[in-house]
Amino acid sequence: MAYLISEEAQDLLQDVKNFCEKEVKEPCKEFDVSGEWPKEIYEKAFEQGYQALEVPEEYGGPGLSRVDVAALIEQMAIADAGFATTISASGLALKPVLIAGSEAQKERVCELVLEGGLGAFCLTEPGAGSDAGAGKTTAVKDGDSYVLNGRKCFITNGGVAAFYCVTAMTDKTKGVKGMSMFLIEAGTPGLSTGKEENKMGIRTSNTCDVVLEDVRIPASNLIGEEGKGFSIAMKTLDQARTWMGCIAAGIAQRGIDEAISYGKERIQFGNPVIKNQGLQFKVADMQIKTETARQMVAHALTRMDLGLTYTMESAIAKCYASDIAMEVASEAIQIFGGYGYSREYPVEKLLRDAKIFQIFEGTNEIQRIVIANNIIGR
Amino acid sequence: MELLVCIKQVPDDSVEISLDPVSKTPALQGVTPVVNAFDTYALEMAARLKEAHGGEITVVSIGGEDVKNSLKNCLAVGADNAYLVKEEAAFSHDPAGIAKTLKKAIGEIEKDRGKPFDLIFCGKESTDYASSQVGLFLGEESSLPVAANVISVEPVEGGIKLKQETEEGYRVMEAALPCVVTIQKPNYDPRYPTIKSKMAARKKEITELSPIENLESQFKVLQILEPPKRAAGVKIKGDNIQEAVTEAMSVMTKARIF
Repeated sequence: MAYLISEEAQDLLQDVKNFCEKEVKEPCKEFDVSGEWPKEIYEKAFEQGYQALEVPEEYGGPGLSRVDVAALIEQMAIADAGFATTISASGLALKPVLIAGSEAQKERVCELVLEGGLGAFCLTEPGAGSDAGAGKTTAVKDGDSYVLNGRKCFITNGGVAAFYCVTAMTDKTKGVKGMSMFLIEAGTPGLSTGKEENKMGIRTSNTCDVVLEDVRIPASNLIGEEGKGFSIAMKTLDQARTWMGCIAAGIAQRGIDEAISYGKERIQFGNPVIKNQGLQFKVADMQIKTETARQMVAHALTRMDLGLTYTMESAIAKCYASDIAMEVASEAIQIFGGYGYSREYPVEKLLRDAKIFQIFEGTNEIQRIVIANNIIGR
Repeated sequence: MELLVCIKQVPDDSVEISLDPVSKTPALQGVTPVVNAFDTYALEMAARLKEAHGGEITVVSIGGEDVKNSLKNCLAVGADNAYLVKEEAAFSHDPAGIAKTLKKAIGEIEKDRGKPFDLIFCGKESTDYASSQVGLFLGEESSLPVAANVISVEPVEGGIKLKQETEEGYRVMEAALPCVVTIQKPNYDPRYPTIKSKMAARKKEITELSPIENLESQFKVLQILEPPKRAAGVKIKGDNIQEAVTEAMSVMTKARIF
């Protein structure tokens, strides 16, 4: 079972599978240990154009439906979730501009991405996680410019991005209504990156602090209007969440694949362990969960493509897929027995990779608040 | 330079294939069709030649509608034009028949494009039936020089310089153009199709050509056999090294290894 995708996406899926099998899956193992950002692997991926999958057709993108793209991203996640996160986080950073940016901004960021640049979405701050409105970064209008100061943390692609979409307070007195969104290109004086996180999982992705010290940008780099930053950020996350669900489902799929191939190989009591109905039921449950998660991802994406509402569906997809990715990864380890706990084997990494998906782009507790608000009403 | 690469679609060679117990023919259901690996090396070599010295690359294949997908994959990794000789029964032809069909196709393509080919590439063999003969027959049919097992080509004054892999090492030679080369794996890998090149390739037209009617084979396949299953080994259990070695030597002597 898989996503129902167009013929051209099926064709591309074969290519992505082939590329990831040879260039991502095995090579990423080494970087999972070292925590180093595998620049060479990413450069090959940029040649393939993976970072530009979400660029709209009118700006030079491939013009695939969201479900088509999901099938490709899942394939990347099966190979390595950190790799897929890097690619997808670039799509995340495109969204504020695509949602609210000017024509010139859209053209510029799409151009950067098509050239092989990544984006970084900068919302979280040390004191503003789930409470994103508590951000302390400021943007002060000064003639034709804004001057930004503050510190963002846990920023995916922070150290490797070509452009940043940054939230900052333009009017502290108004709370979330005083937040605005800005586009900052890499190399702008005053923008630097701080500590790189030594993470539990998705270790092939780059996560670090982004520091803004008197960063002066043209006023035309304001995305949308002043005071709309929080709303743009929430709309961005509404869409982006489903993609995290997509990667989480990919982690779960890898768990199933590994568990089945090991279960057929491992002989105990004279038979492959997968012959035990106890393990067959485990695999069936893993499949039930993964396929359900995948189809929830597809449903949320189809709603986006059709222009329908998707806030709740996106939250369900992200929340459910990441919860079951943890369960499926854990069961995959169980099927491997003692070997599953060893770093020599591929499944312990899945559990480490899966955990973050319950946390970032809105914790699963926040997702449940979103879902509850959607059905109970305020 | 005008370059032609002859392409064969084969079952994915990374999958182990067994015989269908009833029909006694290879069971290919569910095996992904791919471009023959040696043809992908040939195409990559042609693409590098084109990038360095200019020209155009045409690919041609023989087969049914599904082969168009393989040709589109070629268009995504360097080929400019693609032609398909529409022949559902391509698999029933012997290598000489395939070469005759290719010769006819080449004449038609040259007429269609208004210019002759300078260099014709074939893989040195296919990964399915591995006859290694099509390129050689094609040279013979077309009265062109042929060089087999080539790992590099480079244009020189009045022709091309070729590096051929032999059992002992390499042979470097020059040939006048036009000529046919069959390609051995060079020391690089074929490029991956990019998302963009694949999307563009899917939109390109593939020109269909007609096969030779009532093409006769010079030989026919009587039976296809699976390679024998590896027999169980002999376990030698001597009490000491001397005994074990003596027994091992006697087993090998009986098997006429020496």
